[in-house]
Amino acid sequence: MPLVRTERLTKSFGALVAVNAVTFAVDEGSLHSVIGPNGAGKTTLFNLLSGQLAPTSGRIVFDGRDIAGTPPHGVARLGIARSFQRTSIFPTLSILDNVWLAAFARQRSWRGLAWRRADRYPEVAERAMAVLDEVGLAGKAGEPARAISHGEQRQLELAIGLAAAPRLLLLDEPAAGLSPEETKRMVTLVSKLKGRYTVILIEHKIDVVMSMSDRISVMHFGSLIAEGAPAEIQRSAEVRRAYLGGFAAP
Amino acid sequence: MSRAWLVILATVVLLPIFVRHSIATEIWIFAIFGLGLNLLMGYTGLLSFGQATFFGTAAYAVGYLLKQYAINVVLALAIGVAVGAVSAALVGYLCVQRSGLYFIMLTFALNQMFYFVAYQWTTVTGGEDGMPGVPRPSLLGLDIHAPLAYYSVVALLFVLALWVMRRIVESPLGKILQSIRDNELRAEALGYDVPRMKLAAFVLGGAFAGLAGVLYAMLFGIVPLEAIGFVFSGNVVFATLIGGSGSLYGPVIGSFVFIWLSESVSAIWARWPLLLGVAFVVVVLFLRGGVVEAWARYRAWRHASG
Repeated sequence: MPLVRTERLTKSFGALVAVNAVTFAVDEGSLHSVIGPNGAGKTTLFNLLSGQLAPTSGRIVFDGRDIAGTPPHGVARLGIARSFQRTSIFPTLSILDNVWLAAFARQRSWRGLAWRRADRYPEVAERAMAVLDEVGLAGKAGEPARAISHGEQRQLELAIGLAAAPRLLLLDEPAAGLSPEETKRMVTLVSKLKGRYTVILIEHKIDVVMSMSDRISVMHFGSLIAEGAPAEIQRSAEVRRAYLGGFAAP
Repeated sequence: MSRAWLVILATVVLLPIFVRHSIATEIWIFAIFGLGLNLLMGYTGLLSFGQATFFGTAAYAVGYLLKQYAINVVLALAIGVAVGAVSAALVGYLCVQRSGLYFIMLTFALNQMFYFVAYQWTTVTGGEDGMPGVPRPSLLGLDIHAPLAYYSVVALLFVLALWVMRRIVESPLGKILQSIRDNELRAEALGYDVPRMKLAAFVLGGAFAGLAGVLYAMLFGIVPLEAIGFVFSGNVVFATLIGGSGSLYGPVIGSFVFIWLSESVSAIWARWPLLLGVAFVVVVLFLRGGVVEAWARYRAWRHASG
């Protein structure tokens, strides 16, 4: 049963068709990767799914309803959280507040919004601390987010996504700019999410994608050119031509 | 109770001993005004260059009601808060549609519009001459004509306003506004309706400005045209920057420095704004966090040197 599916989803910027009639579906509880060369339209696809961009045409069906054109804050409230390829955090706020805000946003009720002290929401604080614990930042909860290393900021980026307790988690290159050591830790973190969350993952590191994904979609020049289990993708001649061939032999 | 609160309470009690009562009163009024701006400027990152719109509108509206209908003080204060909030909602609704420079220009342009309405509508506002004869009726049977009595009322309202503002900035809304200041796109992606949150900051800031406006009108018994002018809007930005925007007590310190400086030094030296100019340049170049940051640095330095 797919949790989210798109129907001929298209986004054009003037003459450029960044996402071209993409139809795909992601099963609940699966880890679905989207790969493709730079400029293939992967991040634009994410921006459509998360509402940052409105599609030119086509539908996005999340949990049985069409959400195309819903603004980002509305999409987030439905339970779709994302991480960004370029780290997007709240630099002057503490690490705890960064995830606290993500957890609070998903509270069913915002009672006491402008009056109750923020530390009087035990369930939000608990969620925030649990997530920091999971990514290994609990020890730095009080530090401002700008004070930690790039690698830690990437972990925080992931934590912000998780804190929302999302029904669908969009991860845009969580390992972007990480050292081999840090990448290994990030891969462990992401693979621990398998089965607990429905995840769509954009990632360039092919070995990572092949080992973790339940399914893989391949994009090239805005279009979906292949979809299947990792083994099938690895065998596909078209994928090799468009993508893998340009990098390294698997 | 924290040390900051003890210092503030002590200042509230001791100030009228050292400073002329009307100036002391003005300091706390201006501080209330600054608290409201700081929610926008310091916490949400929205530089509103039109806070006098709400200050002046409330002062005129309530001044008129006090003169024509002799409403009581409690009602006057409540209406002032409401007028400040409603005018801020109108202005804010238009302004939050844009960001950056366009936002600032919109707040400024709308301020000018309100100013010219006040300037032209002489039958109500008195135009250039201002609206004189605003009475200061008794508060719940207490005569507050004596400067010290009125000072006490204003000081009490200031402490109340400060407490309310602390509740606001320590609430989830306070955190959300700060997250918008830091990274608007991320706040939106988390599920916060950013324009609506900004509007909330506007309305709350406008309510504080409205309260300050009414207290100002009753302090001097007149609503001068300047009370709705852009210079006044600039002054409160200025005072808040000097004190330290983005910290709760910044605008309070700023108001203290600004009013005290302008009232005491202007008596001795007519070109005192020069001094303010220098202070402003120093803050912008070296001390973005104003007096509050200077204090924090001094503490850190003293701590480091044992």
